[in-house]
Amino acid sequence: MKKITIDPITRLEGHGKIEIFLNDAGEVENTYFQVPELRGFEKFAEGRLAEDMPQITQRICGVCPEAHHAASAKCLDDLFHVDPPSPAKKLRELFYSSFFVTDHTTHFYILAGPDFVMGPEAPVAERNILGVIAKVGLELGGAVINTRMKNHRIIHMLGGRAVHPVFGLPGGVSKGLNEDERKEVEQIAKDSVEFAKLSLKVFDDIVLKNKEYLDMVLSDAYTHRTYYMGLVDEKNRVNFYDGKVRVVDPDGKEFVKYAPREYLEHIAEHVEPWTYVKMPYLKKVGWKGFVDGKDSGVFRSTPLSRLNAADGMATPLAQAEYERFYSTLGGKPVHQTLATHWARLVELLYAAERLHELSKDPEITSPNIRTIPTAKPDEGVGIVEAPRGTLTHHYITDENGIIKKANLIVATVNNVPAISMSVKKAAQALIKPGKKITEGLLNRIEMAWRPYDPCFGCATHTLPGQAPMEIVIYNSRGEVVKRLNR
Amino acid sequence: MGNPLLCDDGVGLRVVAELKDRVDQPEVMIMETGIAGLALLDLLVGYDRAIIIDAIQTVGGKAGHIYRLDTKAFDAARHVVSPHDIDFTTALEFGKKLGLSMPKQIIIFAVEASDVTTFSEECTPEVKQAVPVCIEMVLRELN
Repeated sequence: MKKITIDPITRLEGHGKIEIFLNDAGEVENTYFQVPELRGFEKFAEGRLAEDMPQITQRICGVCPEAHHAASAKCLDDLFHVDPPSPAKKLRELFYSSFFVTDHTTHFYILAGPDFVMGPEAPVAERNILGVIAKVGLELGGAVINTRMKNHRIIHMLGGRAVHPVFGLPGGVSKGLNEDERKEVEQIAKDSVEFAKLSLKVFDDIVLKNKEYLDMVLSDAYTHRTYYMGLVDEKNRVNFYDGKVRVVDPDGKEFVKYAPREYLEHIAEHVEPWTYVKMPYLKKVGWKGFVDGKDSGVFRSTPLSRLNAADGMATPLAQAEYERFYSTLGGKPVHQTLATHWARLVELLYAAERLHELSKDPEITSPNIRTIPTAKPDEGVGIVEAPRGTLTHHYITDENGIIKKANLIVATVNNVPAISMSVKKAAQALIKPGKKITEGLLNRIEMAWRPYDPCFGCATHTLPGQAPMEIVIYNSRGEVVKRLNR
Repeated sequence: MGNPLLCDDGVGLRVVAELKDRVDQPEVMIMETGIAGLALLDLLVGYDRAIIIDAIQTVGGKAGHIYRLDTKAFDAARHVVSPHDIDFTTALEFGKKLGLSMPKQIIIFAVEASDVTTFSEECTPEVKQAVPVCIEMVLRELN
């Protein structure tokens, strides 16, 4: 095979790219998954007031601003050595649960749903929410919009606006809930639980009862045996907002559980010549390449990972679904990447139930929502689960709270090695010598990365001319044989 | 629309910041946002017309060029899909199918961006120069 060196400068910016290289026999030799890297954050953050970071960092991403906001607020708690009062923590978690409902809803129906409802061979123009509602009914489309709108109302209630809310402060939050608002949140939460149950039924009817799809979910082409990471509470149950980071090995045994401040003892970054993105891996296992297994430091950080890394869910309906998930798929841990879509729906149900629980908590309308920091700031780390993976914020400041150094590990970056492996394995399984490379085939390769819902950071726009993802296939002479733009 | 932290990605917000001082018509609502896709739909519901100002990157485009795009241009973008959200055209059609009151006319003024991946609150020089030109184009469109 002709060896082709990819110059990082030739990589396309502004969107993701998958490049597949075939050998002389027409088999897949190598694949490269590239995401655009947002550059210069550390320099940008230097000299800024740490207290501004929840507002600043939530503007990094137009898709999950609340995740950055929450991680940043927690980082400030740590930085200023202040513990928010219990009502404030509950309000933050209520806010965050609401956000998870909207985000998981959007992902499932917009991104994942079309593949299964319309089918992987359906033309691109039909594989979208319009195709989904044409098949399953307008009422479901209305339910998607309603659920999102209602939960954005909660975020607006607490944060002053639906997007880029002003809410998290060091030591607490800026606004609480009065009784009228609490009642409204409680009703929205009840409706969200019903919607989550409906969504799981949709998945059941369309995917699990369809043998072809179930076979695809269980197939080796979409399976990797890796380590799994997720935030857990004190009983090792999934928690999006707080707790410790737990990592289990490919056999499901706990490998490590660490507090946010300890992250650098456990996570290191690997550099590849064909991308500027640094790839996290488990330090104590080591980087062994883009390979599966217990000896490889590659880990995954996704809804599936969170369920694998935990011992259960903290709410009853989600726990029942968690048990059904594992009994259907053959026990823990589940290694099939496409099962991430199902895991996401189990999480949707948990988020809705947790929102409901918190809305009825006796402390949730308490006016005690802030502890004013008194200690001098120095260094802080805040970790939350963003919908697409573990998100870490780390700030070092001077004694006036001016940032000297800042580091973020965003959710998608955790998964870049695993996504690369997933794409390669699917490509190797599907692209065979002599087999025509159709759009349907390329879509089945895309189905290998979609469960990860990779965030391209700056991909907040969908105007004509923007192509957030491109697949390019080269033959052994380096000539393009197929290109697919999205 | 735009991201105020990512260099030229914030050009739309810079145009809008000045428009707020220059437009005094009660029927005109000026908003800033950093979102798109389905979330943009939420913002458009209930209006008769919409003008959107944003950054764009096209193959071979020259930084600072301004394009006026209408619905015909959107149709070509039907298959352009964000990794986690729907494209603009699909979002509009989705809204219409659900019986939401969507604008009858949508115009986008898109400024060709040079850099949308470097953290900076300043635009590049060519894009900065396009801001006053874009403002005048929008004002003409409004009148």
